Amino acid sequence: MNLEELIATEELCERYSVEHTFIRSLNKSGLIEVVIVEKREYVHCDKMAEFEKLLRLHFNLDINLEGLEAIKHLLDRQNELKEENLALRNRLGLYE
Amino acid sequence: MEFIDYYKTLELDKSATKADVKKAYRRLARKYHPDLNPDDESSKKRFQQINEANEVLSDPEKRKKFDEYGKDWQHADQFEQQKQQRGQQRGGAGGFGGGQRQSYSGSFDDDNFSDFFETMFGGGARSRGTGRSPQFKGQDFNAELQLNLTDVYTSHKQTLTVNGKSLRLTIPAGVENGQTIKITGHGGPGAQGGPKGDLFITFKILNNTKFKREKENLHSNVDLDFYTALLGGEITIDTYNGKVKLPIKPETQSGTRVKLKGKGFPKYKMEGEFGDLFITYNITVPTDLSSKEKELYTELQKLRS
Repeated sequence: MNLEELIATEELCERYSVEHTFIRSLNKSGLIEVVIVEKREYVHCDKMAEFEKLLRLHFNLDINLEGLEAIKHLLDRQNELKEENLALRNRLGLYE
Repeated sequence: MEFIDYYKTLELDKSATKADVKKAYRRLARKYHPDLNPDDESSKKRFQQINEANEVLSDPEKRKKFDEYGKDWQHADQFEQQKQQRGQQRGGAGGFGGGQRQSYSGSFDDDNFSDFFETMFGGGARSRGTGRSPQFKGQDFNAELQLNLTDVYTSHKQTLTVNGKSLRLTIPAGVENGQTIKITGHGGPGAQGGPKGDLFITFKILNNTKFKREKENLHSNVDLDFYTALLGGEITIDTYNGKVKLPIKPETQSGTRVKLKGKGFPKYKMEGEFGDLFITYNITVPTDLSSKEKELYTELQKLRS
């Protein structure tokens, strides 16, 4: 993995004013993937939008970790259904 | 510019306490938060109103000003001036602090406050950007781009105007109807020095051809005359990029489907690769038969039975 695409968790803690334990908890719950390179923890830059979303939901709306897990699961499911719906609509065009 | 009743927005009455405001904001924000309602413009708009109402009602100074002038807000500045002249006012209305973490600062830029808010409290009245607030990525923009199917047969460059800015982008061949692509860093400005948001473009592809498209494959119905279907032969058909001759097997049935490999649509982001063209035969039966034809067909029918 390219180091340039990774953001150190300490940097994230500093920038977003969050505790390191928060990022660890997100990682433990499978909400954010933390990669370890030479004993340092990083988050991939592609995951930043997801990370910020979880941060907003947690701090703005007071949603706890269990809530975040449930929301993520439902949003992922919603996304899958949206894609399936789109594929079916495009397929339906064949018979119209 | 319309008067906005912030109490109504938060479903509260005027006697609501600070705790009531917070509770109402949380309750409504959980319902309408853009992160929980992706791609839902009405929820986003409602959330902006809720956020604005919270910004005012959770701040004692702003709430006081709002309560005081209410529907007479258009004259608020005049009243303030008069007060100042009388020496009854100690400070201005700007510079509200607070650094409330509960306000949504992610996908929310300065343009999202109503004109009413701007007039009543001024542009500098927002309570963000104080202290060690976290940086947030800017607002993601969503745009829809309508193209004809013929436009996406080849990759091409197109200039778009998004929020007053021109953007030249390459539209890859084979992009699908409903597909969304992300243009990194072309969204709204970040909050507290955070990075810019992204631009999401959803393609609406209008089919202006006689072919039906399913991903990279194309489908077409071709009329086949009765005699060629029965005895076999050769027909010329249209493909997307020209005509081809197609041999027809004797005794071909209506609804028979043949595949023309590589004659479909370009595969998305796979240069030089194409899907297939599927031809479905629709056999046409002769009409207006002469008496001689009828006689011969009857004879043929007898042979089959």
